[in-house]
Amino acid sequence: MNLILATRDYRTTLILTGLSFCLITATLFSLSVGAVSIPVKDVAVILLQKLGLFRSVTVEGMHEIVLSSIRLPRIIMTVLIGASLGVSGSALQALFRNPLVEPSLIGVSGGSASAVVMVIVFGSALPLPVNGWLYHSLLQLVAFGGGMLATFIVLKLSSQMGKTNIAILILTGVALNALAGAVIGLAIFYADENQLRTFTFWTLGDLGGATWDKLTFAAPLLVTACAGLLFFAPSLNLFSLGEAEAYHTGVNVESTKRRIIIFAALAVGISVSLSGIIGFVGLVVPHVIRVSFHSDNRLVLPASVLGGALLLVLADVIARTVVSPSELPIGVVTALVGAPFFIGLLMNAKRKHEL
Amino acid sequence: MYQASHLSYRVREKILLHDVSLAIAPGQFTAVVGPNGAGKSTLLKTMALEYAGYHGDIVINGKSAKAYSPRELSFVRAVLPQSTTVQFAFTVEQIVALGRHGYRSSRKENEAIVDEVMALTGTDVFRERSYLTLSGGEKQRVQLARVLVQVWEETLYPRYMLLDEPTSSLDIAQQQHIFSLAKKVCERNIGVMAIVHDLNQAVLFADHLYFLRDGKLVASGSAHDVFTKSIIEETFCCRVNVYRDPCNNCPYIIPEREVFAPSPSLVIEK
Repeated sequence: MNLILATRDYRTTLILTGLSFCLITATLFSLSVGAVSIPVKDVAVILLQKLGLFRSVTVEGMHEIVLSSIRLPRIIMTVLIGASLGVSGSALQALFRNPLVEPSLIGVSGGSASAVVMVIVFGSALPLPVNGWLYHSLLQLVAFGGGMLATFIVLKLSSQMGKTNIAILILTGVALNALAGAVIGLAIFYADENQLRTFTFWTLGDLGGATWDKLTFAAPLLVTACAGLLFFAPSLNLFSLGEAEAYHTGVNVESTKRRIIIFAALAVGISVSLSGIIGFVGLVVPHVIRVSFHSDNRLVLPASVLGGALLLVLADVIARTVVSPSELPIGVVTALVGAPFFIGLLMNAKRKHEL
Repeated sequence: MYQASHLSYRVREKILLHDVSLAIAPGQFTAVVGPNGAGKSTLLKTMALEYAGYHGDIVINGKSAKAYSPRELSFVRAVLPQSTTVQFAFTVEQIVALGRHGYRSSRKENEAIVDEVMALTGTDVFRERSYLTLSGGEKQRVQLARVLVQVWEETLYPRYMLLDEPTSSLDIAQQQHIFSLAKKVCERNIGVMAIVHDLNQAVLFADHLYFLRDGKLVASGSAHDVFTKSIIEETFCCRVNVYRDPCNNCPYIIPEREVFAPSPSLVIEK
């Protein structure tokens, strides 16, 4: 018995280590490819020099500038957003007790995006310098609020006698997404030329706008949200038995639920304010982990952090390279992978009569 | 003692429980019986503090139930619902171990308790299997193991288990297994309350019987005393005969063929 559990813990560590290794490799690879190709060795040297090592080795100045002012903020943003979407996806799935839940599918991302777009288009009335840090943090705050509102609406409307009615949940998501689309469309209608160009950004996602400025506020918030969600992994295990059962086993259901939703909305909202809506990451990643390993949230949540980051880094590499020097919206890549996957999930659920 | 006094619960205008008083004594098996829709599950859920808007008092081990936090409650009482659906593929062992959620004990202690209970419930033979692949009877045993794990540890205060129809949809052997287990567990200073459908099983295992009908108590008392023809007929609105097993002197019922209140047309035909 001790041996079995010990083995399992050892396995969890092994899985997480393996995923971390893949993520580091993918990150280094992603940093090296692009319009200017930088050898992986140089990437590593530049990164180490930033940490104060290998000062004696010289690297091409251009490489350093490209890396530290363009690719580095972008990769950090990509990793953080991927991690946030992955972990909030798995946390929401566990909370709603359903593998079909995904932040962009049930309207959370839409809620964030429409709130942000409203501020961008109509916020010119505010006495704020556009693109200042205050403006960015306002956008992030608004995105968080929009996401949280959407999650609470979905949760309230879809719960029936303490259980989540999945049909209502998905349909509420459809309705909220339609509403978000309408709000975004309306804002675009009143938008000027320049703002118009950002339409794709909000609906299909874009990781291109990464700057250190944007990250100063967002990065700590995303890290907090992810860490906060990880903290609830044991309670989420009990939620998979049902809310009443979780209560009987000692979980303070309402407050736990509220906190998980706040953290998930924070993770998704901030992500959306940085990159627009990137779909399907939160759906695919936790599911792959559950199928490949097991459903204990103490594995699924941390593995979703790493897996989400890994998936988004790889998707970003594809988006940047296939039509180089131009780039595809990241949402196109994730949807191309995610949509068939989602249909597969639905078919599976249908076969098991879960819908 | 797990005591509910003058418990009433209503949803809008509909009264589901009316002035029900009930006590679960540690070391005893208390059974609640009654027809469908009598409010048995509502009573159990109210006693488990699942509903907030009840009237009356619930006192557990001398302390008002409202003074317990959810975590503190989980140390004194565990609840087995009628059925539990799990959406994700957890292994049997993972499900059972969930019962230890509230405890801050070491992993070794947790494992020892999980091991002991799984062996007792016979769930250890499929510990590595996915819960989703189990049969109905196996699932129920796993859930019972999870609930047992929660109150297994011997403490100075008595613990309680509330079981909502633990044997619904199980065959006779499985029923026997579950009930005799619940009965045996009472020896660990645990009080068990179970909603039981099968009256013969109820009187066979229970120390105390409560008869519930339309949200009200019809009768209560020691099992052999209240297991009478008149009380059963009044509670269930059906005709039965009560006999006694000559071997163990335990009463049992056999329902009559005819219904309690035949409609007039039937009488005329006769």
